[in-house]
Parts: sequence; structure tokens; C-alpha cells
Amino acid sequence: MEAVSDEVLQRAIEDFAPLRGRGLIVNLLAFSRVLKAAGLKIGLSQVIDAGRCLAHTEIGNRADFHAALRANLASSHAELGVFDRAFELFWRFEGPQGADLEPLETAAAGSEARDAEAGEGEQALGWEASDDDATAESGAEVSLPTYSAQELLSRKDFSEMGVEESRAISRAILLIANRIATQVSRRKKRASRGSEIDPRWSLRRSIRYGGEMLELGYRRRRVKKTRIVLLCDVSGSMDCYSRFLIQFMYGLQNELWGVETFVFSTALTRITHLIRTKHIESALERISETVLGWSGGTNIGGSLQTFNREFAPSLVTHRTVVVIISDGWDRGDAALLEREMRSLKRRSHKIIWLNPLLASENYEPLCKGMRAAMPHLDLFLPVHNLSSLLDLGRKLEKLAA
Amino acid sequence: MAAVNPKKLTIEKIQDALRQQQYICERPLATVVYLSTVIGKPLLLEGEAGVGKTEVAKVLAEVLGTRLIRLQCYEGLDANTALYEWNYPKQMLRIKLEEVGGGDKRGVGAEIFSEEYLIKRPLLEAIQSNGPAPPVLLIDEIDRADVEFEAFLLEVLSDFQITIPEIGTLRAARRPYVFLTSNRTREIHDALKRRCLYHWIDYPSFDKEYEIVTTKVPGIQPQLARQICAFMQQVRAMNFYKRPGIAETLDWAAALLALNRSELDEPTLTETLGCVFKYKEDLNHLQEEIKAKQFKLGGHAGAPAPAQG
Repeated sequence: MEAVSDEVLQRAIEDFAPLRGRGLIVNLLAFSRVLKAAGLKIGLSQVIDAGRCLAHTEIGNRADFHAALRANLASSHAELGVFDRAFELFWRFEGPQGADLEPLETAAAGSEARDAEAGEGEQALGWEASDDDATAESGAEVSLPTYSAQELLSRKDFSEMGVEESRAISRAILLIANRIATQVSRRKKRASRGSEIDPRWSLRRSIRYGGEMLELGYRRRRVKKTRIVLLCDVSGSMDCYSRFLIQFMYGLQNELWGVETFVFSTALTRITHLIRTKHIESALERISETVLGWSGGTNIGGSLQTFNREFAPSLVTHRTVVVIISDGWDRGDAALLEREMRSLKRRSHKIIWLNPLLASENYEPLCKGMRAAMPHLDLFLPVHNLSSLLDLGRKLEKLAA
Repeated sequence: MAAVNPKKLTIEKIQDALRQQQYICERPLATVVYLSTVIGKPLLLEGEAGVGKTEVAKVLAEVLGTRLIRLQCYEGLDANTALYEWNYPKQMLRIKLEEVGGGDKRGVGAEIFSEEYLIKRPLLEAIQSNGPAPPVLLIDEIDRADVEFEAFLLEVLSDFQITIPEIGTLRAARRPYVFLTSNRTREIHDALKRRCLYHWIDYPSFDKEYEIVTTKVPGIQPQLARQICAFMQQVRAMNFYKRPGIAETLDWAAALLALNRSELDEPTLTETLGCVFKYKEDLNHLQEEIKAKQFKLGGHAGAPAPAQG
């Protein structure tokens, strides 16, 4: 769930202002539209059920009213915050006596109420300040000098690739993607051979022969698609690879089901929804609009911490392969990186680290960040040109076995 | 206690009844449980491990004086385990008997696929249950089951009917009260969520946890209970791999009571940490924090922490 600013909520509330005062159900509909505008997933059936619930609720009791709407209209932990804020802004209460619920008269009323609490001057920052701490911070750090890896690189790099090569890369990525994504499931399917007899099928078959078990059916484990989480370093030191990175992210996400993509420099940004499009150009545009701190400094540990805390619980399971693409130049705390890697390792199926610098002959993982991460990696591989990608494909095949 | 008539439930009654069963809950949870029972929509409870998601269903079943049918989810759980399975050995025996006895064999096919040869699994049981009140169906840790099972569940939860090819369609006379729990190890599919009311159970506040501890561990010193809860509040604000839930708090409180401690000091804390943390890394992390004097053990304000033992 992306952060939604109060402005967006206010604008949505204004859009539905003409509907106000026409009774509870109309207001409920307007409220659900506001939530939809804020990105919550709400179907009509949920709104109807919310209405049914209100019929059983004393709507004069603010807490009950809130609980009833929330149970119906929010459907994940991530949505609760947005819901609560939209609720505060939309429904104005007149104390326990006035059971009459009216939505906000104008958008201004809400911000006035908030100003009164927050004090003037903070209006512009308001709540967004707390939400966007991370991005603000990254914005401030963009100007910091970053490591440049340019001179360390050998000649034939992704930094200078043509159309033909770019197509070959796409094919290689597809190959890799399929290999990463294949795993054995615990769920069984029927098979003509296998280690376990399928009694259900066999018995049904036996009826055909008057109860004599002539044919035996077996069960076998099914192959299951794995989930991939891609964490991409887009800090300054990775600049020369950014074209390749984008192609890699884009290629992987569009070839495979269930890929989640994140980029990080000083802060972490989820871009899955941005690159889920058929046009790589429009994807690029949307990314550049959204991601702050592109080409900035690097804080791998901090970014991983954000990932582990905010996203890992719902995205990473023992089936998930985490792919990190980074040169490992870390300006943050190496101990933090170490701890976060360990925690991620425990949660995930495999961690693969792709390092463009690994290609240069005299590269050794000497920087603190890389050394801290090394013990927790299942695979540490170079990606810098096409042959390295093909090599990656071969190695992955062994790993999957 | 006397069972509460489901038709006469109110939010207050649910909250009181849960409290009598030693389940302390805030009003929003009681409200959502109430709404779930009156409009007949399943309730999806999410929250960190050990905050009492499963307990809600268990306690509600007791309050209503009805059966609790529990389906524990795991990866690979399929319809045969959740719904029904034919009793193959019995069917085989029947066929063999029929062979020996001779006689009319035409009826056998229909007979061995009748209800007598059916093994009912939780979902079918919930649908066919005919006690005085509808049963409580607890589908525990749905996030552990796979996507295929979710899709299957979707079908069952929308109509509360099950089709068995050999028998026909079985429909629930009364909808069971359905609770689903999830630890959020993965996101539940939107379609399933849409069919459920949603409630997030958070870690308890200090006051709530204190009330839970004193209710569930009678005989504990108020001072010790306060210290335990304050410690838990601090720990949960920190970054551990597995943050302790209420279950851990209660274990720990019971352990300290068994050790006849009336106060939490550093040696006691170090001795009994195993009740709170179950991972070596977390234990180490905590030891470091204790050494760095990050914790206030509370109770006596301003008093120096006791020397390490």
C-alpha cells in the first residue's frame, strides 16, 4: 500500500461534496468512493454489507460506527492507516447526542480542525512529514558524493549496449526467470508413475473391473512456481548499469508471475505497480517521477531494514527467492546490514546477490557492506555482460536441483 | 455459565461473555464479532503471532454453547483433507464381501458411495452440523495454505454448500459462524478478503495486557505484573526477529510465579528469558541491550538497577 497524502484524500472528499446531506447510505457510498480514490480495494458487495452492518449498529456511537465501517471497507493491515485518516476527515461527529452523521462541509473544515491541533506553520507538512520521513531524508542526501565504479569496469559492459544485444539479454533473462521460478510443491497431482498410490483414483478405476484393482494410480509432487522479490540498487555508484537494471527488472516482472520489484539507494521504494505495463518507456517515466534518491548515496542496511519490517512479512516466504542487485558499496552501518541479511535469510528460500563489479579481475568483496552480507548469500554472481547472464542461468539450474 | 442465545446477542453481551471466559477484548473487536454473527459474514482476523486470534473463535464457541470445528491449514492442504474423503478400506471390504456372498451386485456401486462410507472432514462437518446452535468454524492460519486451497474455500464460503459428485449437493441448514485467522506470512487473495469482515488485532496496550495477566495468572503480585507488561511494551517497540506476543507474556508470568518471584530484577530476567524469546539471535540481541542498560525494569522510579548476578 503506497502512502496517501491528506491532500489526495481532501481532493477526493471535495469531489463527493455535492452528495452530502442526502442520508446515510449516500454518504456511505461517497465515503467508499473516497477510499477507492485513496487506493483501497472495495467492491460494491462490501459497501452493501457495510450498510447491512450499520443497520445493526448504534451509529451514534462513534467507536462502533468506526469499527463497523472499518471491518467492511478495509481489508489489510496496510489499509488501516489510510482508512482511519479518511474516516477522520470525512465523518464529522456532533457528540453522542447528535446521531446525525454529516460528512465534512468543505475540505477546509478538516484542515482547520487539524491546524488547531498542529499549530500554524506545520500545515504544509502536517502528517505527511511523518509518513515521508524516509523520502525527505533521501532527497537531502542526493547531493552527497557517491562511489563511482566507472573506472573499475572492463570494456564490454551493459553500460554500452545496442538493440540486438538488448534483445539477447531479454531472452537470457527469460531463461533465468524460468529457472529461478521452478520449485517442487507439496501439493500432489495424479500421475501414471510415482511413489505414492492414489487410493481415490484407483478405487474408482477398480469399479470398472468389478472391484478388482487392475490399474493403480499414483500421486506425485507438483512443480510449483516460486515467487521472486527483486531488490535493485539504483544509487550513484550503479549509474552506469541503470539501463541494464531497468531492463532486468522490467523483463523479469513481465515474464513471471508474482515478481515484486523494489529499488533502493538511501531509502526503499516499491515499484512493482509502476513497471507492470507493456511500455518500457512509460514505465521509465513513471519510475523517474516516483523514485526519489535515484543516483544518490547508498544505505543498503537501512533499506533492507525497511524491507524486512514493512514488506517481508507479506511478501517473503520459504518459497521466495530474493534477488539483490548491487555493487555492495554501502555508506550505512555494516552491523545493521549484517543483521538484516540474517533475518532475510531466515525468512526466504534463497538469496542471490548479483554484483556487476564482480566482473573486474581485481575485484574482491572488500568493502564492509559486501563482507557483512557475504555469509548469508546462497549465490554471489557477476552480472555485467551477456555471457555472465547465461552463466547465471546455468548456475541457477544447479541451485534449483 | 449458561450459553448465550445467538439471536439475543449484543455488542455488550459479547464483550461481557468473552470477559467471563477470561478473554479481554476491546469494544471494536466485540463490535466486529457481533456484526459477523448478525449478518452472517465470515470474519478474517489478522495480527502478529500470539495476540489471541485463535482464542476469539474458541471462546465464542464456548459463549454460544456450540461446537467448535477447527481446520488447521498447512501447505498442500487439499479438498480431500478439508472436506471429505471416501473410506476406501471399508469400501474395499464391502466389495470383497459382496463377491463372496454372491447375490445381486448391482446395488453395491450406489451403496459404497453413500454417506455411510463418507469420512467427514471439518468443512463438511460444519455444513452438516445440526446441533441446537450453528457451530463455530475456525479456519486457522489460512496464510499457510496455498492459493489453490483459497480458491476452493472461496467457493465453500460463498454458498455454504458442497457438491459431492457421488451423492449430490449438500447445503448448510444454518450458516456456521466462520472465523479465519492469518499471521500474514503472505497476503490473502482479494476475492477471499472481499467475502470477509476484516479485523486487525494489535499487540495489547499496557493496561490491556496488565488486565490479561492478572486475569489469566491469578495470584501474581501486581508489582510483578506491572513490570512484566512494561518490559513487554519496551521489547515490542524494538527490532527483534520474533516479537513476543501475549502467549509469551502469560508463559513468562506463570514461570515467574512458579519461581516465587515477586519482582523482576536483572538476574531473574536473564534466567527466564527463554520464555520470551525463542531465537538465539533475539536472545543475544536482548542481552546486549540489557548490558547497554536500555531497559527500565520499572517499579521503583529512580532506583539504580541491581548489580548483575
